[in-house]
Amino acid sequence: MEVGALALTIGLVCAAYSVAMSLAGGFLRRRDWVASAEHAAYATWGLTLIAVAWLLNALVSHDFNMEYVASYSSTTLPWNYTVTALWGGQQGSLLFWLLILTSVTAVVLLQNRERNRDLMPYVTAVLMTTSVFFLVLLNFVTPPFQRLAFTPAEGRDLNPLLQNYWMQIHPPSLYIGFVSCAVPFAFGIAALVTGKLGDVWIRTTRRWTLFAWFFLSLGNLFGAEWAYLVLGWGGYWAWDPVENAAFMPWLTCTAFLHSVMIQEKKNMLKVWNMVLVILTFLLTIFGTFLTRSGVISSVHSFTQSGLGPFFIGFLAIAAVISLALLLWRLPQLKSENELDSLVSRESTFLFNNLVLVGIAFAVFWGTVFPVLSEWVRGVKITVGPPFFNKVNAPLGLILLFLTGVGPLIAWRRAGWQSVRRNLVPPFAVGFASGVVLLAAGMRSYWGLISFPTAVFVLAGIVMEYYRGVRARQAVIGENPLVALVHLIGKNRRRYGGYIIHIGVVMMFAAITGTSVFKQEQQVTLSTSQTFAIGGYTLRYDGIEQESTPHIAYLRAKITVLQGDKVVDVLKPEKRFYKKPEQPTTEVAIRSTLGADLYLVLGSFDDATQLATFLAYVNPLVSFLWWGGVVIALGTVITMLPGGVTARETAMAAGRFGDRVVVE
Amino acid sequence: MTRKRRFVVGAALLVGAVTYLVYAGVRETSVYYLTLEEFLPKRDSLQGEGVRIAGRVRTGSVDKTTTSAGTELRFVLGDFNKDDGVPVHYTGILPDMFAEGRDVIVEGKYMHDGVLRAQTIMTSCPSKYEAEAAKPNGAPPSAG
Repeated sequence: MEVGALALTIGLVCAAYSVAMSLAGGFLRRRDWVASAEHAAYATWGLTLIAVAWLLNALVSHDFNMEYVASYSSTTLPWNYTVTALWGGQQGSLLFWLLILTSVTAVVLLQNRERNRDLMPYVTAVLMTTSVFFLVLLNFVTPPFQRLAFTPAEGRDLNPLLQNYWMQIHPPSLYIGFVSCAVPFAFGIAALVTGKLGDVWIRTTRRWTLFAWFFLSLGNLFGAEWAYLVLGWGGYWAWDPVENAAFMPWLTCTAFLHSVMIQEKKNMLKVWNMVLVILTFLLTIFGTFLTRSGVISSVHSFTQSGLGPFFIGFLAIAAVISLALLLWRLPQLKSENELDSLVSRESTFLFNNLVLVGIAFAVFWGTVFPVLSEWVRGVKITVGPPFFNKVNAPLGLILLFLTGVGPLIAWRRAGWQSVRRNLVPPFAVGFASGVVLLAAGMRSYWGLISFPTAVFVLAGIVMEYYRGVRARQAVIGENPLVALVHLIGKNRRRYGGYIIHIGVVMMFAAITGTSVFKQEQQVTLSTSQTFAIGGYTLRYDGIEQESTPHIAYLRAKITVLQGDKVVDVLKPEKRFYKKPEQPTTEVAIRSTLGADLYLVLGSFDDATQLATFLAYVNPLVSFLWWGGVVIALGTVITMLPGGVTARETAMAAGRFGDRVVVE
Repeated sequence: MTRKRRFVVGAALLVGAVTYLVYAGVRETSVYYLTLEEFLPKRDSLQGEGVRIAGRVRTGSVDKTTTSAGTELRFVLGDFNKDDGVPVHYTGILPDMFAEGRDVIVEGKYMHDGVLRAQTIMTSCPSKYEAEAAKPNGAPPSAG
């Protein structure tokens, strides 16, 4: 008896029951039916847990009679990768998706036991419908608990490329991000169904949206880190369909986080917010579809499978229902206010939204272009990284500029006086930094646009902090450090948001550094020959070999010199995993704040004893990871529970005299 | 109304810019993506074009020479049971999974002399290994 498979079958029944009962209970106003639906949702969660535990147990106990275990693990695989093999393959990763979805659903239900009772039936229905979809896949299309006719003595092992620290945390982060996007979507749909279209659904899901954004950001970043360390081509982002799949919902989610502020403050953009939340959800499903179906060939496309039509079907149904509901409610979603001025925070946010959605559109277009061109013209035409870089570089810079302008410009209508007071100082600092760079000999257009813009944004944020601290010092008489802590604490959303912006600026600096000022060199050397790159001299000191039962290593020794001084010894590797027989490249990196020296052992020729190396110097790449840390810190600050909203609403009321919704 | 119009103009400019960037980007950077079977019949019309071809490395066709100038690689993209194929010429680092008999995607320029000058060679990394397991002598690991 396969307990896991049985749990999934009963789980499907529970989930379907939950959908039917919550809808029926919602429409007929039967509280007991809705309660029963919620119990069924909890049951689905429990059953999913059982299924996951069953698979984990099979993995840990090396039950190679189970096809999944035999395909993705082995006796020599370290235990931590044996656990992460849970999402190393198709079936397991879909099961893992379901686990996160049902867990998130359970948390949402618990949070809203006493709240939003009018919305909850439909929230439950939406979330559980998504669960039904994944349960159908797990029961009928890609069942995880298939048995083999015989029991192999050993498993075929996890793909060596996935045996990496970052691959342990990248998929969970991304999946948590993807799945959490379903929560604001579910509340949005519930708002459309019930006609309670105020900003209750937005306020209820604000923290969930931030939570989703937090994990989407981390997931993308962990993936980039993994690519940087494992794929060995010197970069961290290749615009591969799988990467784009995770990037697109992040873009629309970022747009949504900004545009909801306009709905909260001005009661505008209700339709636009609905569109964004629907789009984000669809893109998360589309992203899972891209990763899992192999419909668009990808460098690291993991799977070819028959999942495609199911995903397309689910996407189509979700899109049609969402759109129909939106059109039905269109008259009630009219804005209560109009845009006051082109020079205002609202309009900056609107343009920021347009740029973000524009980038998402460009990425989408480039990703599906081979499929589209085949439909339309009968030939498959593909676009590669140059396309994405060309399109997104200017759009990204506009976005960076707006990041700087947005927080500094007043709501409603910014007078010339306030524009001069707020924008001119940071702008002057940015301009001055450009002059300095030019004088220092920088001649790259991109560098001369991007870095000063980044400095402009940073200067604006520093100015905002400085003014806030000064105001507290003057009024309350706190010392600067205490004033800074209180300033952030009293208005976490605003000042946490600024911290996130600092992280974004750091990332832009890293992206500019690595894409404009990257150095690259390929050399073939015999022992004790040297070559120079980026101020370093590198000497090849020979090859050493080592073997374990799991992996055989071929390790080159490179001595790094600056002048005559030895500063480092790098050992890039070739690894030969023994089962499956597969070579991988292990790069060696000397990382400093200014630049990474990134070294790849390309090949080693036994006959001639010649080794070929690829060396890269990636300026500022460390800012990408530190920018991620700063973003995470800022997001945590904005997410912390506490008396943010009450004070903020009061402040907003005092400052802008707007209509305020009192919670 | 003028305020609204001004905003609409701004938005239209932005949308126009995105559209133009996408259009120009596609025109300048797109390459034909073909399987080898699709490529062979129309290869004459694709001379001088950027192409991306999915095919298989013909067993016995790989010729690799490493000198201090670098590694030079020549192989034929084609099925082993058919005569026709495309000679590929590549200088650079090979992906780890490259081996005879493997499915690869070669991106580069199809030259007038009938040689595909590769810029990038990609191997897709299967997360399942049934195919390898079925073949008793899969590609032996070699340093390169």
